[in-house]
Amino acid sequence: MGVLLRLLSARPEAEEALQELYTRVWLRSGRYDPAKRRGMTWLIAIARNLAIDRLRSRPPRGTDEGLDPGADSAPRAFSRAIAKDEAGRLAGCFGQLAPDRADAVRAAYLSGLSYGELAARHAVPVTTLRIRLRHSLLQLRECMDQ
Amino acid sequence: MTDIPLAQSLTKPLTKVEADEAEAAEYVLGLQDAADRAATQARVSSDGAFAQRVFAWETRLQDLNDGYAPATSPRMLPKLEARLFPRPRRAGLGVLRWLAGAGVAAALVLVTLATLVPPRSDLIAVLATSDARLVLEVRHAGSELAVTRTVGPPAVAGRVHEIWLIAPDAAPVSLGLLAEAPLVVAYPRPPDGWGLAVSIEPEGGSRYGTPTGPVILRAVIGREL
Repeated sequence: MGVLLRLLSARPEAEEALQELYTRVWLRSGRYDPAKRRGMTWLIAIARNLAIDRLRSRPPRGTDEGLDPGADSAPRAFSRAIAKDEAGRLAGCFGQLAPDRADAVRAAYLSGLSYGELAARHAVPVTTLRIRLRHSLLQLRECMDQ
Repeated sequence: MTDIPLAQSLTKPLTKVEADEAEAAEYVLGLQDAADRAATQARVSSDGAFAQRVFAWETRLQDLNDGYAPATSPRMLPKLEARLFPRPRRAGLGVLRWLAGAGVAAALVLVTLATLVPPRSDLIAVLATSDARLVLEVRHAGSELAVTRTVGPPAVAGRVHEIWLIAPDAAPVSLGLLAEAPLVVAYPRPPDGWGLAVSIEPEGGSRYGTPTGPVILRAVIGREL
């Protein structure tokens, strides 16, 4: 529910999405393989997918609205991830990215911001942002897979 | 944003594998607009190797999940349980009030599916227009519902027939889209009195989780068979 509330911001929509989430979880439960992944990872992946599908099918929102969600807790989450495991691979690899890009990746993951919204936030053209973030993501992958 | 890696990336175009990795990451992060996202979604369903890349990204980024604060879900569980498990509730399930509980629910589903009555094909509903130009049969066998179009044409190009299951006083739940082959969905036998409906939706089905197009067929399970 936290995931849906965070991404969709509006409680009624999050509640509606939660019903859909339970249904999807149940329809897909046969495909879940506990040997391959943690239950929470699987569940949150389904929840995020569902919420982002909803976000992207909404009419475009004003830039003001796209800016504030989660600006507060994203950094906290990040420091918590570091605190949890000083040598945490993801945190370490985030540390190797330029700080504004690491921020952008976190904001996309946690707040569901799109390329368009991030471009507005960082005041760069969408294509530029896309090239830069794609590069950062590949860098992140290389670092994680080492 | 910092500029140096941009210069690097411009001098070095992405290889096919890099482009695939970047697309998988963009999809998992949810960066794409609706059209790109739909295209990648189609790739995930049809391209197993690509789906593995998506899966790997979900795992790579899982530590970020700590950033989601838990929130109490509304008290919808009794209603959901009634929808999902049309059988008496087991004691103790009432404590499942958190999202985390859904994991337990998923496990319970597996148990439920595994312990269902032995398979037998059972015609539970027929959906037909009054002139019988379009007829669908819904059967239940084992742990599956099968929906077959026995008479009539498919939806016109660009549209699709979507079938919905409606528990009493609940919102419709999509069972899926009807194609040429029978639609088979893992589902316990819905009790008598539940509704079925078919609506016309845009290609790919309703995007909102509820019917958006005209409802062309309706039936109530266990009635008028």
